[in-house]
Amino acid sequence: MNGWILAATVTLGGGVGATVWGVATGPLGRRVVAQNLCTAFACPALLLLSQGSDRPSYVDLALVLALLGPVGTLVFARLLAEELAEDPPSAWGLTYAAAAVGAVVVLAVCVTVGPSRAMAKLLVVGVLLIGGNLVASRALSGGFPELRRG
Amino acid sequence: MADAVIVVALLLVAVSATAAVAVRDPVRQALVLAVLGVVLAVLFTVLQAPDVALSQLAVGSALTPLLLLLAVHKVKRRGRKEGRHR
Amino acid sequence: MNGRTTLLATAELLGWWTALAVLWLVFISTVDTLELTVGAAVAGLGALAARAARRSVTGR
Repeated sequence: MNGWILAATVTLGGGVGATVWGVATGPLGRRVVAQNLCTAFACPALLLLSQGSDRPSYVDLALVLALLGPVGTLVFARLLAEELAEDPPSAWGLTYAAAAVGAVVVLAVCVTVGPSRAMAKLLVVGVLLIGGNLVASRALSGGFPELRRG
Repeated sequence: MADAVIVVALLLVAVSATAAVAVRDPVRQALVLAVLGVVLAVLFTVLQAPDVALSQLAVGSALTPLLLLLAVHKVKRRGRKEGRHR
Repeated sequence: MNGRTTLLATAELLGWWTALAVLWLVFISTVDTLELTVGAAVAGLGALAARAARRSVTGR
């Protein structure tokens, strides 16, 4: 048990735990935001686990999650467009906080790995994670009018 | 001490799976199932099975909710059409 | 198809191929001949698909 796995445990317990609670209770808007933030917290947890258990293969998991998580949120934003239109869920504070957590974790792991192709891969994962998080949040709060049309 | 992350992952899976059963409306269930998919993938990673976690991510995070929501969409649209004809 | 469109198409395919090949090089763990060959082939297919997708999206 080293610091990386401890940080992963805290991210999982606090971040993903809060999203599990948020997706199970409350109005539809909160549930959709919770599903979005689940990806934004689970991806840094996977990066921390990869560093803590010294397995670079876990970074591939973080990469796939950073790609597919926002895709899932966009699916929900498109197919639930009418139900969300009356009360567009916008939790920009939480979104930026999750993006900040992702950025800090990516930077920390990059610094530890040192300049190499592995660091470039981590940077790509970080860009996909934060970019996907922001795009999915904007789609949920109704920022893409093309999504609402048939 | 190294088991703490496994315990946390197992607890998360238990809570989300229970929530997936307890939520009745299919649309809300699709949301909980998406979160359950991600949490299961994290559990598989923590138990040192990253290939299983990769397959789980590919299926559970985007495909399963999409299938469920499309089915709900079709049923709703058919119900609306029949309601208009009657 | 005249000479100019052929040149533009080739340049765009080359651009996509380079970007995808660089991404492949970043993602793989060990760099050896097999990986480079597979990467070049897959980047070629990806470049064709990407050009088709871009043309279908901006043609709207």
